Amino acid sequence: MTRVNQSEWQVLKSLQKAFRRLRLFFPFLFILVSITCFGVAPLSLLRAADSNAISPQAQSLPLGLPGLPKWVSTVTTSQIELGGKLFFDRGLSFNNTLSCSMCHLPEDAFASTQSARSVGMEGRTLQRNAPTLLNVVFQEMLFHDGRETSLALQAWLPLLHPDEMANPSIGYLIARVKDDPDYVRLFAQAFPGRGIDPMTLGEALAAFQSTLLSGNSRFDRWRFGGEENALSEAEKRGFELFAGKANCASCHTIDDAHALFSDSLYYNTGIGYRALTQKSESYNIQLAAGVVVEVESRYVDAISGPVPNDIGRFAITLDERDRWAYRTPTLRNVSRTEPYMHDGSIGTLDAVVEYYNEGGFRKDRSLSPLIKPLGLTQIERDDLVAFLVSLDGAEASGTQNK
Amino acid sequence: MKSKFLSGLIFAAGLVLAAPQALHADETCNSPFTAALVTGQEQFMHVWTLGMVGVGDESDKLVTVDVDPKSSNYGKVIHSLSVGGRGEAHHTGFTDDRRFLWAGRLDDSKIIIFDISKPAEPKKVKVIEDFADRTGYVGPHTFYAIPGRMIVQGLSNTMDHGGKTGIVVYTNDGEIVSQHDMPGDDMGGDAYGYDIGINPNQNTMLTSSFTGWTNYMMDFGALVKDPVAMKNFGNTMAVWDFKAMKPIKVLKVPGAPLEIRWSLRPGDDWALTSTALTSKLWLIKKDDQGEWQAKAVSDIGDPSKIPLPVDISITANGKGLWVNTFLDGTTRFFDISDIENPKEVYSKTIGNQVNMVSQSWDGKRVYFTTSLLANWDKKGRENDQFLKAYDWDGKELTEKFAIDFVKEGLGRAHHMKFSAKPNSSALGSTSETYQSLLSN
Repeated sequence: MTRVNQSEWQVLKSLQKAFRRLRLFFPFLFILVSITCFGVAPLSLLRAADSNAISPQAQSLPLGLPGLPKWVSTVTTSQIELGGKLFFDRGLSFNNTLSCSMCHLPEDAFASTQSARSVGMEGRTLQRNAPTLLNVVFQEMLFHDGRETSLALQAWLPLLHPDEMANPSIGYLIARVKDDPDYVRLFAQAFPGRGIDPMTLGEALAAFQSTLLSGNSRFDRWRFGGEENALSEAEKRGFELFAGKANCASCHTIDDAHALFSDSLYYNTGIGYRALTQKSESYNIQLAAGVVVEVESRYVDAISGPVPNDIGRFAITLDERDRWAYRTPTLRNVSRTEPYMHDGSIGTLDAVVEYYNEGGFRKDRSLSPLIKPLGLTQIERDDLVAFLVSLDGAEASGTQNK
Repeated sequence: MKSKFLSGLIFAAGLVLAAPQALHADETCNSPFTAALVTGQEQFMHVWTLGMVGVGDESDKLVTVDVDPKSSNYGKVIHSLSVGGRGEAHHTGFTDDRRFLWAGRLDDSKIIIFDISKPAEPKKVKVIEDFADRTGYVGPHTFYAIPGRMIVQGLSNTMDHGGKTGIVVYTNDGEIVSQHDMPGDDMGGDAYGYDIGINPNQNTMLTSSFTGWTNYMMDFGALVKDPVAMKNFGNTMAVWDFKAMKPIKVLKVPGAPLEIRWSLRPGDDWALTSTALTSKLWLIKKDDQGEWQAKAVSDIGDPSKIPLPVDISITANGKGLWVNTFLDGTTRFFDISDIENPKEVYSKTIGNQVNMVSQSWDGKRVYFTTSLLANWDKKGRENDQFLKAYDWDGKELTEKFAIDFVKEGLGRAHHMKFSAKPNSSALGSTSETYQSLLSN
């Protein structure tokens, strides 16, 4: 089940209904959704009443984040409004079924806890797990394999991919957008003299995503805010392991004044190779609470479509060193974005820590040399998980003021 | 909005009182408010068929088959009406006057309305394209007639494509009257939906619960291997005050309770459902204190092997129940004379997979189709897609004809509805909306 509770659900639902009726109140919607559901509150938006105000989100960055990329300084609130409307618009998919937000759910930290791998056009199972979009503005390369170089360009890959939003061509979608008088007006307002074209559509979506910031976690308050009691003793021990014995911080980096928990590099964690080579003879399938049955794989195979091979960044660089390598993901809000790894194949943080504690998939000869058995005790593993949970944006977990 | 629904119900109640015969369901599984029963020999079968990549025009379509044994076209496809695209065609339902057939698509949430007053040549008269945009619900699944209205049960929602959803009440002309969220946390519900079953005598509506778009659209193999997704199935049924359209109680029925069948026998006030994942028959009945309760009364096959019970069809006398189990392609007949102790008394393999079952009013003819959901159907050589007709003598099914929907270039055969040749006195009048559509 999605973790959104009933009251959050009602709020989201009523907001969405209102949004459909009032197509011009996106900033209000965004702020309310942000505060209510995932707590990434761009309060600066409230001050940006002028629709052409420049870079509203740059006015107050959450604690623990670095400075925004230069391009964000030219973003206007009207572009953010437009990008938000596009982001949630199912009409951007060929059959009016999928929007960006159907795989990057606000209540799931703009990732998805609904399934291991995303589900696309006509139900096609995609290769990978939907990553969080929180703090995506800081990423220089996009997608798990780093195949794209800017947020504005990135948007067109899912829009056009036949397994995702499946628009048959760029011109087809641009023509559809131009048919909507609301969009004609909003694009004219957001991009004076440019209007609706492939670049402005991408830039609007990028503008919106530049506001999806999350920091000010309890870790940030402890590490960068000088609040000694913001972390429990177990979490502090977890941090010591994270930065020391467990060696997590060698890839999930923490700088002196901020932390993105990613070095933006690519590593073979063994997960891709494991999926390729390790076949189960049976599966334990949970049918209801407390009801689990073991089913032979031949029965599951009969109802399984072909799973496309995934060789990671190797497909982009053709460099053998990149076989089954994927970008280091951020760990902010990680407790809210299960399941984990690029293919969603590990369901819990405990299991992720256990995987690394065992040294990854040791049969993979091209496994990153950074991954090796850690020898963590159960208490140490628990402490490490406790630390990871402290990385939730304080508002995001809804606990900051409780 | 609710006041409109209430006025409709007052009208509905009036019709129930004025026409007590309407309390009897038609070919055993339609709404009890459906008129013009086909109690004799059905003449046509409409099969709501999913378009299939690589097969024919690849489009969803309404396929009409001649099922009158006296006809020279018996067992043949006599009409096919493609509606364009693959939107996960699924279930259909007659309007109360039985003149129109509403057909839903679970992916793009379109509702297509066919005029079947000339059943050999159904016509598409209207497409409701804004079900999702207007209501926030996704996946119009069950179409259930009440007088002058159609109740449509959603499966998912536009917020997260999960299972939280609701019910929409339409006029027969396709205008929204009201919408109603499924009962959620505050009542111990999961807010999921699937089927609707109304018992007018008890002023009781039952609803069941399946799963959201992400799961029902997903490759079935990927789904069962995904522990995160497998948590997102319904585990409840809801009891509603029908006239008020208000949920009054949530029943725990773990493992995705699907089709709901009230007993049609006068005096009976119980219903059955089957749970797809946990493979059990459940009885919904009032206890000695007059409280609605649900209890498991029988396994279906070997639950540890997940036979996946899907469609069920109750006999008109309330003493027998067909249960299809999808994964082993088997239909099973249960003796439910003692409703507290159903007994499987017959089974037959229909194909590599089987989903829907429809029986004639007298129970002598039984029809089967194969497709469950496009991405849940078996893959490769086991992906049978057919309509098969059988005679049933109470002991044995005897095959009468089979139509291979792939060889015929049609697609995946799903929901079936019977019709008979025009009997204008039994059909309702065409609404002004449809009149104008038909004249265009």
